Amino acid sequence: MKTRYYIGGAIILVFLGLLFYNFTQTNIEYESDFTKVMQSGKVCKASGVWVKEKSYQENIEDRTFVFYLKDAKNNEMKVVYKGTKPNNFEIATNVVVTGKFENGYFHATDVLTKCPSKYEGQNLNTSGS
Amino acid sequence: MIGNILISVAFIGAVFSGIMYFLNYRGYQNTLNYARIAFHTMATSTILASVFLLYLILTHQFQYKYVYSYSDTSLPLGLLISTFYAGQEGSFLLWALWMAIIGVILQQYTSVRGDLEPRVMAVYSLVQSFLLLMITPVVKNPFALIYSEPFMASASTINTQFLHLPFLADYIFSDRATGQMYVKIDKTLVDALKSAGIGLNDFIINGRGLNPLLHSFWMQIHPPILFVGFAAMSVPFAFAFAALIKNDYKEWIKQAFPWILFVSMVLGLGIMLGGYWAYGVLGWGGYWAWDPVENSSLIPWIIAVAAIHTMLVQKKTANENSIGAFAKTNLVLVILSFVLVLYSTFLTRSGILGDASVHSFVDPGYFAYLLLLIFMGTFIGLGAALLIYRWKYLQQITPAQNNLFSREFALFTGSVVLGASALVTFLGTSAPIFGKSVQIQFYNDMNLPLGILIGLINGFSLLVKWKESDGKELLRKSVFSLISASVLTLIMFFAGVKDFKMVLFAFASAFAFFVNAEIAFKILRRNFEKTGAYISHMGLAILFIGVIASSKYDKSVDVNLVKNEPADVLGYKLVFTGYSPTEDGKYSFNILIEKDGKKYKAAPIMYYSEFNQGVMREPDIVPFVTKDIYISPISYDDGTSTSSSQGTTLQIKKGETVKYGESEIEFVSFNFPTDAMQKMMSGQDFEIGVKLIVKNYGSKYEVEPKYGLRSGEKINEPIKIKDANIQISLVSMSADQDLVTLSVAPYSIDVNNEAPKKEVLAITASIKPFVGLVWLGTVVVVAGFFIAMIRRLKESRN
Repeated sequence: MKTRYYIGGAIILVFLGLLFYNFTQTNIEYESDFTKVMQSGKVCKASGVWVKEKSYQENIEDRTFVFYLKDAKNNEMKVVYKGTKPNNFEIATNVVVTGKFENGYFHATDVLTKCPSKYEGQNLNTSGS
Repeated sequence: MIGNILISVAFIGAVFSGIMYFLNYRGYQNTLNYARIAFHTMATSTILASVFLLYLILTHQFQYKYVYSYSDTSLPLGLLISTFYAGQEGSFLLWALWMAIIGVILQQYTSVRGDLEPRVMAVYSLVQSFLLLMITPVVKNPFALIYSEPFMASASTINTQFLHLPFLADYIFSDRATGQMYVKIDKTLVDALKSAGIGLNDFIINGRGLNPLLHSFWMQIHPPILFVGFAAMSVPFAFAFAALIKNDYKEWIKQAFPWILFVSMVLGLGIMLGGYWAYGVLGWGGYWAWDPVENSSLIPWIIAVAAIHTMLVQKKTANENSIGAFAKTNLVLVILSFVLVLYSTFLTRSGILGDASVHSFVDPGYFAYLLLLIFMGTFIGLGAALLIYRWKYLQQITPAQNNLFSREFALFTGSVVLGASALVTFLGTSAPIFGKSVQIQFYNDMNLPLGILIGLINGFSLLVKWKESDGKELLRKSVFSLISASVLTLIMFFAGVKDFKMVLFAFASAFAFFVNAEIAFKILRRNFEKTGAYISHMGLAILFIGVIASSKYDKSVDVNLVKNEPADVLGYKLVFTGYSPTEDGKYSFNILIEKDGKKYKAAPIMYYSEFNQGVMREPDIVPFVTKDIYISPISYDDGTSTSSSQGTTLQIKKGETVKYGESEIEFVSFNFPTDAMQKMMSGQDFEIGVKLIVKNYGSKYEVEPKYGLRSGEKINEPIKIKDANIQISLVSMSADQDLVTLSVAPYSIDVNNEAPKKEVLAITASIKPFVGLVWLGTVVVVAGFFIAMIRRLKESRN
């Protein structure tokens, strides 16, 4: 009777151990400070604002989408995304890119655009017309 | 007004019926009638409120904020109806509506089964009270008028004949970034309109419309079905909770059994319809992306399915002297499955997943956020408190489960594995709360071994007998399935499934399939109504095999298709034949697919959406029995873009000199007339330029490349200097940075002579083997649940 509980307990412990090991191995941190992103070289989710002045490039040949992001401290970072320009890119208030910084630019595997919510934040100038 | 009253009445009815039912349970005989009247008043008001909202939507009453925000006059009827649940307010109302309808059925169901009604309905009314509270006028009110808070309505939705009214000038705003015009609608404007004799409904003549991503057939069925599942999940919960209240744990299992089968059927169907939507229309490339929103409804489903298995054991092992095995487990699992539905709601509606999910969420506001937390907290708290309170007693009366080699234990093990899978998914999905995020690999790596176990247990649990089994008999019974599964696995191995874990998964799934198929086949004629479990298990096995083949062994390439030039892609000949507009204002890009003389057509869709301010893409699928050809569009180039590939681009700062070949180019100054900007904006003719000095072997040329509009035609002629063998044209200038961008080329090259137009469509083409098995498996699972539900419904009457 008792051995059964021990075996069951052991299996559960092994499972939980594996679970947390895997969790820590695959989890990605959010990072909003680009100096840290550039130094660490680890896979992370970096969020920032698109640098409109530098526009973006879409290369059809090698299927890349290149743009610049800046963080709150105005640190700029070049982002190369293997894919096409995501929807809502131009109107996004915030861009979250997943990937890592290597060889002078951020290799993004995913780009998520956060858009202004539907009714708020229209950010109108109140000069009237 | 009407809407607000109906919702308020419904809310008060729910609270009142809950209290009356509870009092009735505590012995007050005379409150039962009040409770029933209050409950039916609640149900009627909720239904009427829903009908009213639908009426407002169908008649385009844009003075209501909800109607304005999600619909417009251009939507076809089906989609117009679906705007009912396009926003938070409406989807809560839909949930409450299903709760009301299911509640009426539940009231009837419980009233004929012993003393169930007061306890179960008291709990059920409590749940409904919370849901209705969410949509009362003070929280997320679907009937709020547009001017209840100052609202910026796009000028394009306003009747143009009124835009010139003098008093309106104070209310018109423009967004500097986009140039869009807005009308600020608030109380004072409404009063002004009223005194001018203009009705608000004549003033606002259109709405914002529905996000084009949701313009889909699946929008019309996926959310309603999912919400039936969510609403129905509170029924088993109410039974479990009622059992705890009465401290009687035998009957509820039998009575809740058809309901939990119903929940699992509907919720499972809803989840997979969402998967099909993602795969077939939204173009996620697959049917399951481990997106937090998908996960959050999968987790309660897995727990409910686990509960079904241990509830079956309790039902089987119960007798006059015993409540049956796993009584505690069942209470915990059923309460957990409901709480997880609330958790799912919290995750997806609180805005907490904002950074982590593709689904976009609107922060519901602090008050609603808090209310959601209280909603969830109340039921977690109540459930946990009552369980702890009864735990000691439950400990005494639950019989120990002794035999390891029995179906009871096998089913329990199955539930534990399901629970583990739910835990994995839960952990990954909840990570964003702690500012972390897991990679998809986490879900796949962790769930794969669990999937293998589920397949094996699925098969073996049906081969071992209740109470006690012996090894030899088990072996004899499993011979057919083991051999068949091995053969099928070998076939899959040679077809390309080589990864060790995948081979195991394939074997486990095939084994489960054959065990269930054999039993189902044997009892099909005599005992059709008992085939439910076997059929849904077969369905799951089919689904698993579909998952193995389609996710792990799909082939995918990116190609550029030049119009009318055949390309070889993954063994097929693909020809892009041009695009054509579709009926709903999108563009389909027609592709001919040819193999072995057979021709197929694919027409993925791309269009620019004003609503999303971006290009939207929809894939197209050519389904075969053994595979899907999946074509998703990436981009289209009509060949007219003027990329001056022959020129060199130079950037020069004011006052600086740059060398090009044998020449030196100095950027002297801008020639930017003061009125040019204004002319440019208003579309009149204008000219702007930059003054340059070009030096070449001692010669000096002062030139001014220009850019502008002359009698409506764009001008951008290159300046050519023959002696210096150079031509210069203006690409762009940036006055605030004192920077100019030039395109420079040797004199002789004809830059303007473009290459012949080539229309190029870029696509991703994939072959997804046996993805059809995933859908077939789903249908079979659902059918199995249905058969089982009918059987258990009959049993619940005794």
